[in-house]
Amino acid sequence: MTARSQFNYIGKPLARKEDRRLVTGHGRYLDDIVVPGALHACFVRSPHAHAKILGISVEAAHEVPGVVGVFTGKDLAQWTNRLRQAPRIEGLQPTEIETLPTDKVRFHGDPVAVVVASDRYVAEDAAELVEVDYEMLAPVASLEAALAPGAALVDDALPSNLVSHQSFSAGNVEARRKEAHAVVEATFYQHRQTHVPMETRGCAAVWDQGREHLTFHIGNQVPHPLRSALAGRLGLSESQVTVISPDVGGGFGQKIALYREELTVAALARHLKQPLRWREDRSENLMAASHARENLCHTRTSVAADGRILGIELEIFEDFGAYCFYPANYMSRVVAMILTGPYRIADYTFEVKVALTNKCGNGPMRAPMAITSWVMDGTIDAIARQLELDPLKVRRVNMLRTADLPYRMATGETLEDITPAETLESAVASIGYDAFHERQRALREEGRYIGLGLCTVVESTTYGSAFYKTTGIAGSGHEAAWVRIEPSGVINASVGLGGSGQGYETALSQTVAEGLGVDPSMVRILTGNTDVAPYGMGSRGARGGTAGGGALYLCAQKAAEQVLRIAAHRLGLNSAQELRLLDGQVERRINNEWTGTGLFLTDIARTAYLDPTNLPEGVAPGLDFSLTYDPPPMTYSNSTHACEVEVDTRTGRLTILRYVVSEDCGTVINPIVVRGQQQGAIAMGLSGSLFEQVVYDENGQNLSATFADYLVATACELPEVEILHNHTPNKRTPAGIKGMAEGGVMGAIGAVSNAVNDALAPFGVAATHQPLSPQYLRSLLRGRADRNRQEGQD
Amino acid sequence: MKPASFDYHRPQTVEDALGLLARFGETAKPIAGGQSLGPMLNMRLARPRHLVDLNDLVELDFVRVVDGVLELGAMTRHQRVATSAEVRRAHPLLAAAAATIGHYPIRQRGTLGGSLVHADPAAQMPLIAVLANARIVIGGVGGMREIAACDFFQSVMTVDLRAGEIVTSVRFPVLAPNAGWGFRLFSRRHGDFAMVAVAATLALADDGRVADLKVAVGGVASVPFRIDLDASVFAGATPTASWIEEISAHVAERIAPEDNALVPAEYRRELTEALVRDGIKDALRNTQVEAA
Amino acid sequence: MSDKRTITLTVNGTTREADVEPRRLLSDVLREDLGLTGTHVGCEHGVCGACTVLIDDKPARACLTYAVQMEGHEITTIEAVGEETLSPLQQALHEEHGLQCGFCTPGIVMTFEAFLREMPDPSEAQVRDVLSGNLCRCTGYQNIVVAVLKAAAVMREKRP
Repeated sequence: MTARSQFNYIGKPLARKEDRRLVTGHGRYLDDIVVPGALHACFVRSPHAHAKILGISVEAAHEVPGVVGVFTGKDLAQWTNRLRQAPRIEGLQPTEIETLPTDKVRFHGDPVAVVVASDRYVAEDAAELVEVDYEMLAPVASLEAALAPGAALVDDALPSNLVSHQSFSAGNVEARRKEAHAVVEATFYQHRQTHVPMETRGCAAVWDQGREHLTFHIGNQVPHPLRSALAGRLGLSESQVTVISPDVGGGFGQKIALYREELTVAALARHLKQPLRWREDRSENLMAASHARENLCHTRTSVAADGRILGIELEIFEDFGAYCFYPANYMSRVVAMILTGPYRIADYTFEVKVALTNKCGNGPMRAPMAITSWVMDGTIDAIARQLELDPLKVRRVNMLRTADLPYRMATGETLEDITPAETLESAVASIGYDAFHERQRALREEGRYIGLGLCTVVESTTYGSAFYKTTGIAGSGHEAAWVRIEPSGVINASVGLGGSGQGYETALSQTVAEGLGVDPSMVRILTGNTDVAPYGMGSRGARGGTAGGGALYLCAQKAAEQVLRIAAHRLGLNSAQELRLLDGQVERRINNEWTGTGLFLTDIARTAYLDPTNLPEGVAPGLDFSLTYDPPPMTYSNSTHACEVEVDTRTGRLTILRYVVSEDCGTVINPIVVRGQQQGAIAMGLSGSLFEQVVYDENGQNLSATFADYLVATACELPEVEILHNHTPNKRTPAGIKGMAEGGVMGAIGAVSNAVNDALAPFGVAATHQPLSPQYLRSLLRGRADRNRQEGQD
Repeated sequence: MKPASFDYHRPQTVEDALGLLARFGETAKPIAGGQSLGPMLNMRLARPRHLVDLNDLVELDFVRVVDGVLELGAMTRHQRVATSAEVRRAHPLLAAAAATIGHYPIRQRGTLGGSLVHADPAAQMPLIAVLANARIVIGGVGGMREIAACDFFQSVMTVDLRAGEIVTSVRFPVLAPNAGWGFRLFSRRHGDFAMVAVAATLALADDGRVADLKVAVGGVASVPFRIDLDASVFAGATPTASWIEEISAHVAERIAPEDNALVPAEYRRELTEALVRDGIKDALRNTQVEAA
Repeated sequence: MSDKRTITLTVNGTTREADVEPRRLLSDVLREDLGLTGTHVGCEHGVCGACTVLIDDKPARACLTYAVQMEGHEITTIEAVGEETLSPLQQALHEEHGLQCGFCTPGIVMTFEAFLREMPDPSEAQVRDVLSGNLCRCTGYQNIVVAVLKAAAVMREKRP
C-alpha cells in the first residue's frame, strides 16, 4: 500500500459493527424470530433414488393429535405455479419442476408430502405415519449411468439425461497439436460436495388475510429476486410479498434459489390462513438442500519444448443431480470461459456436457467455478512432469505480464488490472521455493515426502449485465442503493444485497462514509428487507463489494454534491467547487489548504428538512438519494497460492505444513473483513479437497447425511494462512473495488493437489481425483516404491 | 430430528434403577452421558418407551485403587478418567486414551460405562478394556456378576448385558510400573471415531529383552480384540527396529478386516501395521523413560 | 405421546418453569419455552457444537440433553455472558475478527469460557484441540484461535 491512501474511510481496519449482538447471542437468525401461533412443517422424504408415486396414504398421520393437515404435490399444484427453467441458450434443454412431485421421486430425500402440526415433534411423529406406495425405477446414480445408451430418464420430459451441451472453438487447436513438441493429457475429478451453512435452511410465512399480504421470514442471500420468484409462483404481485432476512447463518450459495420446501410453506400459510414455519434439520440439509461440484474434466494440451502452451482442449462433464434450480449450463460454462486465466493461450476449444442423475440438484457453491484453477494449474504441472521441467518455469513462460494487458482471452473476455506474474513471484519468494527443494531432497533420503504446490488464480468476481446478455442468461448484474441523511444528520443507507457474514454493516458503511465524507459510525446499513431495500440482485459470486459497495459509494457521492451545494449557499459562495465534507464538517480550500468552516452536516440536514425556504434555488427539501449501478461486464481479481504438504506414505495421511497466498483484489474496503473472507475461502477449499464428500451408493442411496459422515474440517486440520497483499485498483469500478471471496476456494483446491503430486513424484504417481483422502493417497502408492531409493527397499 | 416419545425416570439409587429396568424390561433404556444414545434417540434409531436416567447415581462415579486393581465407577466421566492423577498413575494408557475421546464438551458428559455398553468397534474404552484384561462389573436385580472384557463385547454395538442389567464399574489391573505403553489412533479428522486404533503394553526384563507384549486393535472387526501373541514371538527378543517391523507385520497378518466401499480391507491392514509399529515404538520409549 | 410435566430449571441463576414432554431437547426448551434464542441449533446430533451451554459450569451439548434431566442442575447460556460489557473472550473475538456469520459463535464462547477457567494458559495446540469440537464454516478458525489466546492473556493479566 502507498504511504498515504487516497481514501479517508475506505481501507481502514474497523472492527465489525455487527459483532456485539452476535457474540452475546442476540442475533436474529430465522429460528430466533418469534411468530406467535405459528404451526410447524415437516416434510416426508423419499427413501428411494428413483420411484413412481402410486399413492400416498395420509389418514394415520391425520389422526395424530396436534396435526392440522397433511398435503401432497397434488394439493400444492392447485395453489402454486411450476418452476420453468428455459433461458434461450443453445444446447440447453428447458425443464420444469413441480412444487412437490406428483408422479415420481427423483432422489433420496425428495420431498413427497408435508405434515403441518402444532410443533416439530408432533409433525415428525405424523410424518412417520404417512405411507407412500412406490414403484421402484432404475436409479441413475452416476455420470456414466446417466449418459449410457438406454439409460433410464431422470426427467421424463427430456429426450435424454444430457440436459446441457455446449462447445466452443477459438484459433486452431488441431494445427497446434500437429506442430507441438508434445501433447499432454490430464484428468481432474472433483467430487460432490454441499454448502453446509451452520444455519440450515428454514422459513416462516405469515399471511395477512385482511391485507392479502405475505410476510416471509427466511435466511436468504438475494431477498429481491426471491420475492419476485415467490410472488410469481404463488400468483401474487411483488407488492403482496415482503421478504425479511435479518441475520443469516451462512449461505455460500445455498440460500439463493426459491426451494420447493419454502414455496410449500408459503402456499400453506396462505391456504391455512395460519402462520407456518419450517426449519430444516441437518440430515435434510445434507441430503436434500442443494449439492454442488461433481465434475470431471479432461485437458489435452499442445506444448513446445520449453513448456509453452500452444493450444488447449477442455472437456467437462458435470453431474447436475435431479432438478434444475439453475440453468444447467451455468456453473460449468464459467469454468470453461475462464479456464486459461493467467496464461497466454489463444488456441482453445471446450466441450461442456451436463447430465441429470438421481441425486440432489446442484447449485452454485462458493466459487461455482471452483475446479478451474486446479484444472489449469494442474495441467501446467502435468506438462512439467511429462517434459521434466520445473513447474515454476512452465508458469513463467506462459504467464501474462502487465505489458500484455488488457488481454482478450480466447473466449472473448477481457482481463485488465490484474497482476498474476507479481503474485506468483511474491508467493514463491515468500515460501522459499529453492530452499524448499533442498529440504525436500534431504527429507526424501529419510523416507519423508514433502511437496510444494502452486496455483495462480484469476477469479471472476462481479458479473455486469453485459455479461449476462452475452452469455444468454436472463437477468441483470446491476445493484441499487439509497442513502438518506436524516434530519439530525445521521445516515441510513440500503442496498439490495443479503449478507450472511460478510460484514456489510461495517464495510458498506465505509463506502458510504467515503462517498459522503462522514465517519462510518454515523452510517447505518439496512439490508435484508424488501420493503426497505431497493431492488437489487443480492449477494452471489463476489459482487457485494463492487456492485453493492460501488452503488453505495456513488450514491453517497451524489448526496455529498447536494450537501455541498447547500453548504455553498449557506456560506454565501457561488460554487461548491472548493468545498468538501470530512468527518461531517464542511471544509473549504483556501490557498490549497483545507480549513473547517464550522458548518456541519447536522446544520445542512436541519436546513434541508426543517428550514427548506433557506435552500438554494432549485434544491428540493430533504436529503434522500437513490441510484442504480451496473458494473463492467466482468471484474477480475487474482492471487497465487503456495501450499506445502507432507504425505505419510504408510498411511496416506496428508498434513498441510505451510500455506501462503499472495492476493490482489484491488482496493480493499476493510482489510479485516477481506482477510477473513480470504481465510474462510481457503478453508472451504481445503476442507472440500481433503474431507468433504457427498456419497451415494450404486442404488442412489445417500450415505453422508450426518455430520459423522459428511466431514467438515475442524480447527485441527486447517493451517494458518499467511497472506501477502497487493492492491491494483480496477480502473473501471467505483473506488477501484474488484471483489474477492471465491478465489481462495479455487486456489486452495489447486495448490493442495499440486503439492500432493509434488510429494508423490518419486513414486511416479499423481492424484487425479478428490477428495485427497488418506485411503485414496494410499491406494496410489500401493505396490509403488520411491524410484530413487529402490536399493535396500523391500 | 426429534426423538420419539418416552417416559422418563430418574432413580436415586442403583437399586431403584435396577428395579425400574427390571420392571420395564426390553422397553427401557438406561441413559448415562447420552453422547452416543442422544444422537440415536434424536434420529429415532433408538426408541425406548422408558428412559432411565443414571446421572443421579453418584455412587457410580468413583476412582479407586485397591490391591493392584484400578476400579472406576461406570458413571465416571471421560474427562475425569483422562485427568485424574490416580488414573494417570495406575493406568496412564487408560488416561491417555480417554483424553482422545470425541471433543472437550463430549468428554465432560460421556461416561466410561456408557462407552463400554455402546460398544462401538473403534472406540477407545472398549479397546483399552480388552487390552488390559479389565473385568466388567454388572448389576442386576438378581445380584452382581463380573465378566472379562473380551467376553463382554459380542458384536457391533452388542454386549453381554441382559435387559434389566447395567454396568456398575470396571476393574483394570494396575499397569506394571515398568511397563511401557502406546496408544495410536488414525481418524480422518481430530476427534472422529478411529478408522483403526491400536493399544500396546510392553515390559522389558532387566537385560533389556522383551518380557511381555500385549497388543489390541480396534476398528478392524466387529469388536476390539487382543492379538493372541504367542510368547515365542516376542519373549526374549531384543526390541530392535527390525523386530518392531516383524511384530507389526505379524499383527497385520492376524487381522481380517471387512471390505467396504469407502475403506478397503487392505487399507485397514496397512493402517494397523503402521499404528502397531508406532504404538510399540511409543511403548518402548516410555519403558525406557521409566527405567531412566 | 408422553404426558407433559412441569419442570423447574435454574438458568443463568434464575429459576424458570416449563411445561414440557420428557423428550424435549434442552436446546428447544431454552430457545422456544424460555425465549433464550442465543443457543443455536446446528445439527442435533452432537457434532457441530453450536448449541453448547454450561451444565454445572461444564460445557455440554444442549441437543444431547433432555430438559427434564436438568432439574437440580445449573444451566448457563450465552445470555449470561457479556451482558453489560463483553467478556475478554467476546472482546477478543470482536477485535480479531473471530466470527463472520456468527451462528457458531455462542457455542464457541461457552466452550472457551469454561475451558479458560480450567486452563488459563493454553498452548495453541490445546486451543485447537478444544476448538475442534465446534464447527465453523466461515472463518477457517485462524482468527478464533488468535482470539482465544489473546483472551487468555488478558484474563491472566486481570487475575490478582
